[in-house]
Amino acid sequence: MTGILEARGLGRTLPGERPITLVKGVDLAIEPGCFTAIVGPSGCGKSSLLYLLGLLDRPTEGELLFEGREMSGLSGDERARVRLERFGFVFQFHFLLPEFTALENVMIPMRRLGRLDGEETKARALALLAEMGLEGKEGKTPDKLSGGERQRVAIARALANDPVLILGDEPTGNLDSHNSARVVETLLALAHEEGRAIACVTHDLDIAERADIRIEMLDGRVERIVDNRDTGRAPNA
Amino acid sequence: MIGRFVFLVSIALRHLLRRRRQTVVAVSGVAVGVGFFLAVSALMVGSQNDFVDQLIESAPHIIVSDELRSPSPQPGARVFGDGAVDLHGYKVRTEVRGIKDWSAIVAAADAIPGALASPSLTGGVTLRLGGHEEALAIVGVEPEIETQISTIEDQLRVGRLRDLEKVQGGIIIGEELASRLGVNVGDIVAASTSTSKARSMRVVGLFKKGQAQLSSNSGYVLLREAQSMLGRPFIINRIGIHLSDPYAAERVAARLEQRFGYKAESWQERSSEFLSLLVTRNVIMYSVVSAILLVASFGIYTVVSNSVSDKQRDIAIMRSIGFSERDLQLIFVIEGIVLAAIGVVAGWMLGYLLMEILGSLRFPIAGEEESIPLDRGPRQYAIAAGASFLAGVVAAWLPARKASRVDPVDILRGAV
Repeated sequence: MTGILEARGLGRTLPGERPITLVKGVDLAIEPGCFTAIVGPSGCGKSSLLYLLGLLDRPTEGELLFEGREMSGLSGDERARVRLERFGFVFQFHFLLPEFTALENVMIPMRRLGRLDGEETKARALALLAEMGLEGKEGKTPDKLSGGERQRVAIARALANDPVLILGDEPTGNLDSHNSARVVETLLALAHEEGRAIACVTHDLDIAERADIRIEMLDGRVERIVDNRDTGRAPNA
Repeated sequence: MIGRFVFLVSIALRHLLRRRRQTVVAVSGVAVGVGFFLAVSALMVGSQNDFVDQLIESAPHIIVSDELRSPSPQPGARVFGDGAVDLHGYKVRTEVRGIKDWSAIVAAADAIPGALASPSLTGGVTLRLGGHEEALAIVGVEPEIETQISTIEDQLRVGRLRDLEKVQGGIIIGEELASRLGVNVGDIVAASTSTSKARSMRVVGLFKKGQAQLSSNSGYVLLREAQSMLGRPFIINRIGIHLSDPYAAERVAARLEQRFGYKAESWQERSSEFLSLLVTRNVIMYSVVSAILLVASFGIYTVVSNSVSDKQRDIAIMRSIGFSERDLQLIFVIEGIVLAAIGVVAGWMLGYLLMEILGSLRFPIAGEEESIPLDRGPRQYAIAAGASFLAGVVAAWLPARKASRVDPVDILRGAV
């Protein structure tokens, strides 16, 4: 297994009188230039796994290596820094900040990072929105945008700081088939053409079929990893 | 770092603009608190300063009198000091009243830079006119010096203190006394003491009514006139000292008393009970004002607290983007600071307005139109701003801690 993000025996248990195991003994690798889909029935722990991979939650067991570096020992601030610089998130419910226009939403991660000056930030945000086919919508607030448009703004925002890894939590879950297909095309292009690593939790069988790697989960465990790429090699063999 | 702060401020401002009504309510709370604090403290401090000025200026800053704090020790005790001296059955020598060696005290006081000493002699006389008899405490002064050390000139309704020098046997008495005797300026009354026969005095001036320090039963005459009338030539029993810095009075008085032995009383000692009353007044004022500001900070707390609970999703998304816990806490604390800042500025304007209104009011007091004494110093503005900011930061910080504790996973999981 060689990946930008690697999990070894990753597990997450909620403490309490009757501890609940969300994720257990997960070994996987997320590779650059590759679209990885995480599938499974509701409650199988696929979202919990995604939060662990996205450094939003801390594992209770196992190791998580990002670019070869162990992540579990990092402080909250350090994890936030990794998310800001290297990760992009796309969620089912878009999660745009309602007070800000589409353009401003895309600019937020860049302004927080502060690497580009104001003009560069704006130019990059406009370019990203244009790439997502959103010319002319820059000045609109989220409530004036359609669901598909919002999700594309969210993808543009996820790309703002040029992340190496994009994590999606049912990114098409709330979209009609037309918009859904468009989002999938976009995500696939980001992996294949730009070499980013993409990992998405999804219910959508179409997405699962088109993914390069499909991770099937059941009851918090990885049941099967299917590699759909032409090489036909069996990962995790 | 500064860029990041500016960015967080812009997010906080967006949040506040979104909830305009709550923002306006919270800001008005602070503004009213600050405004009324300014108005009330201007009144309190102004009247206090006015009152203290009157305390200071109504009489000389230090009064040296011919009294001793303790009787002078017997010669035996003086000579043997701490020895085993036991005296009894001795007869106390009758001391002549009056300040001995007073010119030395006056010279010592005059030697202090900016200080001026005025010797005077007080004593009792009886004024007589027709069937009326009125007891009067007369003060014999040197008008030239006395006018420089006291505000006596301002208390005169008719005449001037110097008029005493122009008229043989001139006397200045209170308006009330004059009306009781039925005399006016230019009229003649008879004055007598227990030791001298009656002599004629001409009224040359009248004090205003209602001056507490100059009771209706005291009158001013020339020093040598008093000395002759009371049969005590060359003697004085009171030295009034005026200082350029009234607050040095206590120190100077103690020094004079130690050096000359006579009781030297500063204005602070004379009015210690009033001054302690002022302390109480200030304590009351500041506790009332703190209560107002505390209530104002509740408004800020409510706004920030609501903002935090409404923005759970936004907090989660910002955390996932890579905002740190501290960033989020700061955003909400900034909201509180912004509310406090706008409130303070609005409150300053309100306070200024209230002071203008109070300052323009005129009240008839003792027949004269008087305006309310107000203190408009920058100190009150600074205190109001400081207290509001402190209250605002604390009120915002409490709910803001909650924002930093939001676990994005809980929110994301709940939303899916």
